[in-house]
Amino acid sequence: MNKENLLDTLLARQNASKEGYLDREAIAAVAEEFAMPETRVFEIASYYAMLEIEPQAKYVLEICNSTPCYFSKSNEVAAWVEGELDVKPGDVTGDGLFSWHYTPCVGACDIGPVIKVRDTVYGDLTKETVHALIQDLRNAKNGKKFR
Amino acid sequence: MNKEPVLLKRIGKMRDPASVEEYTGLGGFAALRKAVQMDKEDILKEIDTANLRGRGGAAYPAGRKWRQLYGIEGTPKYIVCNADEGEPGTFKDKVLLEKDPLSVIEGMLVAACVFDSPEGFIYIRGEYHTVRQAFQKAVDSAAAAGFLGKDILGVKGFDFTITIVSGAGAYVCGENSALLNSIEGKTGRPRVKPPHLAEVGLNQKPTLVNNVETFACIPVILNIGGKAFLEMGAEDGGGTKLVSISGHLKNRGVFEVPLGTPFEDVLYAEEYGGGPFEGKPIKFLHLGGQSGPLAFPEQIGGAYSYKGLEDKKLAIGSGAIVAMDESVSVVEYSKKVMEFFVYESCGKCTPCRIGTTRILELLEDFVSGAAEKGDIEKLDAMLTQVMALSACGLGQTAGVAVRSALTHRRAEFEARISG
Repeated sequence: MNKENLLDTLLARQNASKEGYLDREAIAAVAEEFAMPETRVFEIASYYAMLEIEPQAKYVLEICNSTPCYFSKSNEVAAWVEGELDVKPGDVTGDGLFSWHYTPCVGACDIGPVIKVRDTVYGDLTKETVHALIQDLRNAKNGKKFR
Repeated sequence: MNKEPVLLKRIGKMRDPASVEEYTGLGGFAALRKAVQMDKEDILKEIDTANLRGRGGAAYPAGRKWRQLYGIEGTPKYIVCNADEGEPGTFKDKVLLEKDPLSVIEGMLVAACVFDSPEGFIYIRGEYHTVRQAFQKAVDSAAAAGFLGKDILGVKGFDFTITIVSGAGAYVCGENSALLNSIEGKTGRPRVKPPHLAEVGLNQKPTLVNNVETFACIPVILNIGGKAFLEMGAEDGGGTKLVSISGHLKNRGVFEVPLGTPFEDVLYAEEYGGGPFEGKPIKFLHLGGQSGPLAFPEQIGGAYSYKGLEDKKLAIGSGAIVAMDESVSVVEYSKKVMEFFVYESCGKCTPCRIGTTRILELLEDFVSGAAEKGDIEKLDAMLTQVMALSACGLGQTAGVAVRSALTHRRAEFEARISG
């Protein structure tokens, strides 16, 4: 495999994994596919922010806290999310469904404050829409895009 | 001043932005048809005349960059498009990639024609998954229509392909050498320069790296001519600039602004920023991303152009304008900026890895009220050291915003000192 496909391959494996992360087996398989040492692949998996080396919740709510979002009330969004889920950043809810943490800019500053869940960005959030988003995800529905 | 858009002119007018037919119907690929007929030296001359400056943030003259690569022997030469748009407050490349992707492809094709390059890459940040899908569609349709592949436009030997490479969440990969390392399957950390990428770039080969918007400007230059492009903008930088407006202005979004437009218009005119969002006066702006300076009302005036801003110790950078109203503390804002750099520092060099952390700790003291007499001087010295000693653009600019805050609003920091 060409090296330029490495990050794509890792992301695809992670997305296809049950717990949303690259375990030792996945790392080893990718290392073999790209004829690279496992340690190199692990280094890469641990370096890039979107690649995970620990099991993740089913839905990871990433709240942008770069300045355009943060000062457009993303700190309040974090408080609402923490209130709804009742877990600290990085911790997983008892049912394994949710966790949340801050993330740097996702390039959606025109609709800040935003939450990114997997590949979808939810913007112009209010307390109500945050509540509705979590409810939708909990009910295994795709969250509506609020903007 | 002519305000007709040239970069956003097709946006919203195509039902399918990936359609070669629709793109061609709206003037697309005319520049490439011209380019294959032109003398390469003449193409370079047009770009020189246009005074196109790099739109990613560094504002390096594109003509000069192209000439450097042109003068270098060695094959193959690679064409790389930097679409790792990660500067907070910047979301303008996304618009081009998603809504007029073929214009970026056409710009890369002109470069391929000039440099006889067989292969191009576009590195799209991992967070832009849907953008990337849209761009892939455009690459596929360009290939199906014969604009990528072999003997493009019937020109024997004009072969070029574009491969999309995904990032995976690393701001520093927007730095061109880190980006190339990332494409090569390495951790995306910057290289020590020189050698410059024009000589030793991707896979150790001569390489051109330009931003998305820079590539999109190339067909415009060939279509209207370098002189007309220059006249559309300002003498110190021709053309229009895509500006991303966010924060506390009424109209948040991407706007195409002719360089040289009055700065105040960009903020307050209805067609652009539209003035403050909640009626509270704007206290400061953050220009060009987190690595750019803060701009205070006394600096806002004159022209929104490279020189107009440089004269006031400001910079256009990526074209980001984050506006903050009176509710925001300059000290707290500075702290959030430094948090970003601490998070994004790649850790390769010590001044950036440790220095940004120490600066953040000090700024936290200012926010909590624990700062003491002498801490402003300490902060100032650390900013100087980190920026002077860091190896790459990330660390070298990590203190720009805080430094500008300290220069212009020292009193706000002084007010936070206890005792």
